Amino acid sequence: MNRIVKMILTLTLLGLISGIALSMVSNYTDPLIEQNQQEALREAVFYVLQPTEDYEERTVDGKVIYESYDESGELVGYSFTASGGGYQGTIELIVGVGTELEEIKGIQILASEETPGLGGKIRGESFKSQFRGLEAGQGIGLVKSEEPERGEIQAITGATISSRAVVDIINKELSRVRSILPEGE
Amino acid sequence: MELFFIFVAIVLTQNFVLHFFLGICPFLGVSDEMEGAFGMGIATTFVMTLTAIITWNINTFILKAFNVEFLEYVSFILVIASLVQLVEMFLKKYLPELYETLGIYLPLITTNCAVLGLALFMVLREYNFVESAIFGFGAGVGFTLALVIMAGIRGELNEEDIPKPFRGTAITLLVAGLLALAFMGFSGLVPT
Amino acid sequence: MIKEFVKGIWKENPVFVQVLGMCPTLAVTTSLINGLSMGLATTFVLVSSGLAISALRKLIPDQVRIASFMIIISSSVTVVKLLFEAHIPEISSQLGPYLPLIVTNCIILGRQEAFSSKQPVGKTLLDNLGMGIGFIFALVVLGSVRELFYQGTIGGAQVLGTWYKSMIIMVQPAGAFISLSLLVALFQRLSESE
Repeated sequence: MNRIVKMILTLTLLGLISGIALSMVSNYTDPLIEQNQQEALREAVFYVLQPTEDYEERTVDGKVIYESYDESGELVGYSFTASGGGYQGTIELIVGVGTELEEIKGIQILASEETPGLGGKIRGESFKSQFRGLEAGQGIGLVKSEEPERGEIQAITGATISSRAVVDIINKELSRVRSILPEGE
Repeated sequence: MELFFIFVAIVLTQNFVLHFFLGICPFLGVSDEMEGAFGMGIATTFVMTLTAIITWNINTFILKAFNVEFLEYVSFILVIASLVQLVEMFLKKYLPELYETLGIYLPLITTNCAVLGLALFMVLREYNFVESAIFGFGAGVGFTLALVIMAGIRGELNEEDIPKPFRGTAITLLVAGLLALAFMGFSGLVPT
Repeated sequence: MIKEFVKGIWKENPVFVQVLGMCPTLAVTTSLINGLSMGLATTFVLVSSGLAISALRKLIPDQVRIASFMIIISSSVTVVKLLFEAHIPEISSQLGPYLPLIVTNCIILGRQEAFSSKQPVGKTLLDNLGMGIGFIFALVVLGSVRELFYQGTIGGAQVLGTWYKSMIIMVQPAGAFISLSLLVALFQRLSESE
């Protein structure tokens, strides 16, 4: 009996200590992680729509839209976050579009769990730069090895699924934003 | 149909062992006996399915509900360890014959990273309950498949004259590489 | 004393000789930097949990030994994951789910079971540190080799000329298995001739 009590006591104590220690660490790291995410989002808004001098946050139909303005106070375009399933985990990204909601100005990946070195390359400049000034009126297409035409993106070699996921996520959210945001408002 | 695709993907195109490198230790250490490999596979599949079901509930109704997600790894590994223990006790008591064949493999399952990996992937992919259960079962089936194929090939290799530095681990890894190449042929089978 | 430290690096190298911890070894070694950060994270977990287990070794009842080890190891992994996310989010997302999978890395539980739970704190520190460095060494070598043959760079620096055409297979699963196989064979050959 004594042995069992000792066993249970050890495990309970260890569990307690670990729980307390972890909650302390997470109390310390949570604000930092939160801050990292905020900062990444802020930087991303400036990155996807250039030249952004300042931006405003607006909520339409429960969807947060960032309105970017250039130095003279002229509206440059809108950006918004979108997410969906990738190859391994969820991909979260932000898309910047022109005022007509027809042309993509740029994208940035906020979070992804894709295979390092393969699907992970969706974070790379050579993949993201394909979206700069991309015609998306009819939705974006994806090609594998052939030369991409107007409104098309070339998939990362060996990571078609991750590339396709990014394109699908953008297409889906863009059409949703189009339906809630009156064009050229 | 979605569920069917999840199953096929995890067994063939995204096989846990040959694609995500999960459960490599038992895979490389497997003997050349097909029967043993099959037994290990069945025991693991059983634990994996139960793990998927239980960890999904823990994650949804405890970790997320009380906002204590930092306890994810600790609680998952404890679930797996206790589950393995319970399965062992249950088999010993009620199915002693099955225990005779599977018993020796059970303790090894706790440190099989495929089991914990399964729970982590499930959370990352935000699967619902049914999807998680299918995913867990499929991961086990895929693991068994890889294990049995490897055991078969190792049986054949015993007869061969392998260069000395390659004996043991190196040749097994080489075979695994070729198997991974072969399994790449399945890619495209599942639409995404 | 020195012996406890160096054995992990060459003679009992956890990857090349003991063939442990294969999941992260194969999964994240697509580049030098990924291999290195995984190695460092694993070493931190190995050493910190080893010290805790060695210090508590007389208090933990034998029957609940493994469960207790798992609590200590998984707590330590959670700390690493949270710190990585807070301070180096880029690397944390590169390693993805393989960072938490350190929990089931057989090197860690194996070391604690075979060494830390039986030896005093000082010896444990040397042993675990040596094993950790041996693991880092293996991951860095494999990461460099795969990165070099994949795109002609090591640690991001161009090594082969621009003529080098990238070899995708090196960062795919098959390439991981085959490169490690060749390295293990090479290692065996080298230690035989000694």
